[in-house]
Amino acid sequence: MTALDTSPGSRLAARSARIFLAGQQLILNPIGLVGLLIVAALVLVALLAPMLAPHAPDAQNLDLRLIAPGGDHPLGTDQLGRDILSRILHGARITLGIVALVVVIAAPIGLVVGCVAGYHGGWVDVVMMRITDVFLAFPRLILALALVAAMGPGITNAVIAIAVTAWPVYARIARAETLTVRGTDYVSAARLQGASSWRLIRRQIMPACTNSLIVRVTLDMAGIILTAAGLGFLGLGAQPPSPEWGAMIAQGREYLFDQWWIATVPGVAILVVSLGFNLLGDGLRDVLDPRA
Amino acid sequence: MRYSQRFILLPLLAAAVAAASVAPAAAEAPRGVFVMAKALDDLISLDPAEAFEFSGVEVIANLYERLFDGNPADPAAPAGGVVESWEVGGGGREFTFAIRRGLVFHSGNPVTADDAVFSIRRVIRLNKTPAFILTQFGLDPENLDARVRALDGHRFRLTLDRAYAPALVLNVLSAAVTSVVERAAALAHERDGDLGHRWLRTHDAGSGAFRLVVWNPGEHLILDAVPDHHGGAPAIRRVVIRDIREPATQRVMLMRGDIDLARNLGPDQIVALAGAEGIATFSAPQARLFYLGLNQANPILARPEVRRALRYLIDYRGMARTVLAGRAQVHQAFLPIGFPGALEEVPFALDPARARALLVDAGLGDGFAVTMDTRSDPLALQIAQAIQATMAQAGVRIEILPGDGKQVLTRYRARRHDIFIGQWGPDYLDPHTNAAAFARNPDNGSDSADKTLAWRNGWAIPELTEMADAAVLERDPIRRAARYRVLQRRIQEDSPFVILFQEKALIAARDGVKGFSVGLMSDRTLYRDLSK
Repeated sequence: MTALDTSPGSRLAARSARIFLAGQQLILNPIGLVGLLIVAALVLVALLAPMLAPHAPDAQNLDLRLIAPGGDHPLGTDQLGRDILSRILHGARITLGIVALVVVIAAPIGLVVGCVAGYHGGWVDVVMMRITDVFLAFPRLILALALVAAMGPGITNAVIAIAVTAWPVYARIARAETLTVRGTDYVSAARLQGASSWRLIRRQIMPACTNSLIVRVTLDMAGIILTAAGLGFLGLGAQPPSPEWGAMIAQGREYLFDQWWIATVPGVAILVVSLGFNLLGDGLRDVLDPRA
Repeated sequence: MRYSQRFILLPLLAAAVAAASVAPAAAEAPRGVFVMAKALDDLISLDPAEAFEFSGVEVIANLYERLFDGNPADPAAPAGGVVESWEVGGGGREFTFAIRRGLVFHSGNPVTADDAVFSIRRVIRLNKTPAFILTQFGLDPENLDARVRALDGHRFRLTLDRAYAPALVLNVLSAAVTSVVERAAALAHERDGDLGHRWLRTHDAGSGAFRLVVWNPGEHLILDAVPDHHGGAPAIRRVVIRDIREPATQRVMLMRGDIDLARNLGPDQIVALAGAEGIATFSAPQARLFYLGLNQANPILARPEVRRALRYLIDYRGMARTVLAGRAQVHQAFLPIGFPGALEEVPFALDPARARALLVDAGLGDGFAVTMDTRSDPLALQIAQAIQATMAQAGVRIEILPGDGKQVLTRYRARRHDIFIGQWGPDYLDPHTNAAAFARNPDNGSDSADKTLAWRNGWAIPELTEMADAAVLERDPIRRAARYRVLQRRIQEDSPFVILFQEKALIAARDGVKGFSVGLMSDRTLYRDLSK
């Protein structure tokens, strides 16, 4: 299948080859490819929103409210005469921003907690994993709701709340991976060479955990988007006039019978994007998971 | 390729969120039971000494009887309620009231002068939000026993500190806070000297045409007709008010026949229902005002130029024509139309250039940022967002803070807001009710006994307070109305209040529903003639 030399000359070359092979495998996997395209489209739309959007997302025109899709407003206007297409495009930025922030906050925390707990074992493991269990014991959306209610509504607090509910799963996965690799020969060899615990965790164990973590995080993104939309829908996430998709659905629900497009368009956007992340995650799992 | 079912199903939840689903429910409401859908998120208490919210006051109006009943046809002459006849003496300071005979409480006990006296004293002693309606007559816990006392079983005397306009006194005594509570029932449930307050928050001890069966907060409130009521039996056996906060849900339930009447439909839904078969829609004038309250504790909002600029940053007519079509009319004075002396001029319109110039004068050419506490119902949020957009034209960046009615009001009453957007309804049919709220603030301290709207917005106004206090002593109706017009102009020109609209109630009901009387004020919305 590939003409690459199987004995790479340097560490960099090995890594590049691995990424190339993985990428190739992902592209050859139709489901993964669809997911990748959707996510790529989301990123592109988010970056170019101001250029793509025909109108400003908050520009109101009370005389042009509730206009059906077509003409100057391809996806119609909402109850305040704002262009829905422009709002959806700008909303992509918020959605992507939430996902990125949650991942940046939650994944490293989970990774460190899991690796440290798994590597050290003993009481460190017990304490860290029981804390993790406490967070896992609550349904995610409920915990996020409680946190936002306590901290006050707003997108920053929503991100923090979702991140707080997201890390325990990653800690669990990282710990499981750590347990399988901590007794392996290469870790022992590094330890015999005098590497410190922290160095061992950082250089030998963490890289071994990242594959399954990446898969899990990608699969989780759909959940993060839904949680964020759920919070927005309940008025606890992004605040008006922010074109956050969940909040858009919430405001459009009064019009579902007569002006279906106001709530349906953001609903479809959420559906497509979360489906995209799921498909990408599935594709990545096939590529990255050695046990697949 | 392996799919785990869970991960594919997950995004479908998004679609479920999009379809605000309505749980399947039983069809047509049974005969004899009238089911009404209403957002009850402002319902805090059913104790007449405490309730000061639209929903609470409306329910209390049906559970209790008051000393007097407001008379919209002639606001200066309220009709007797529990009081049958009265005499004024002592130079206009002493009112002697005779209780109507034959009135009975839901317990079967007769309504006596003792109960009326107890109810008034109770309001002053508990000193909850609406207590100011009565304390403004100089009543306080020390002089209470002498100023309010029973003469015999069916007569009692009220002594005021000054000779107020008689129309004012009688109208004040028609406020929901003067509902007559059965003394024996309240005291039987007294705990730690609370005069039965905790119990009365969720129970009734009245003599109205309906008695409270149960109030399940967040679900429903059930009222049963008193069949042998002295005013005649209500036309319907039971009224169920379901706490439905989603207008869309109310609409579906109405169309399916699950409810007989919907109270919270927006203008767009009323338009859509206008052609629906089996449904009738109508509107009724309301004395409620939509207004903004600008907290003067915020140094920016305290500048007169800013207060004035904000008046030019609202598209009053645009909103009245579109998002509020049929639901409200532009109104910019604190007395609603229907009250003696109401000012009908609307001098302000959207004018961003003028507002910008005023902000430049105030040294705020770059604008400023403030928050706006908004009740998270669809209509309030739409108005708030429309205002947010027009304010932005002069650089006023508003962050909307939505919350449920109770939350928002609690913040407002604690003076923790920047801008509050909400509704104000008068408490009785006399111009003083709104003058007292908007133009009086005798003590701006944080523990003031008189927490008027001016107080809530931290607005110290000794001069206006004096003018408002003088107006209540004016016995000539024409000169009195003129005084209120002056006050309204002052508030209109410069105050922390930006008065936006006077409301109309939009109601949709099943065909055949009759007798729903929507009062100008929520304490006149009565269920006794309801039938279907």
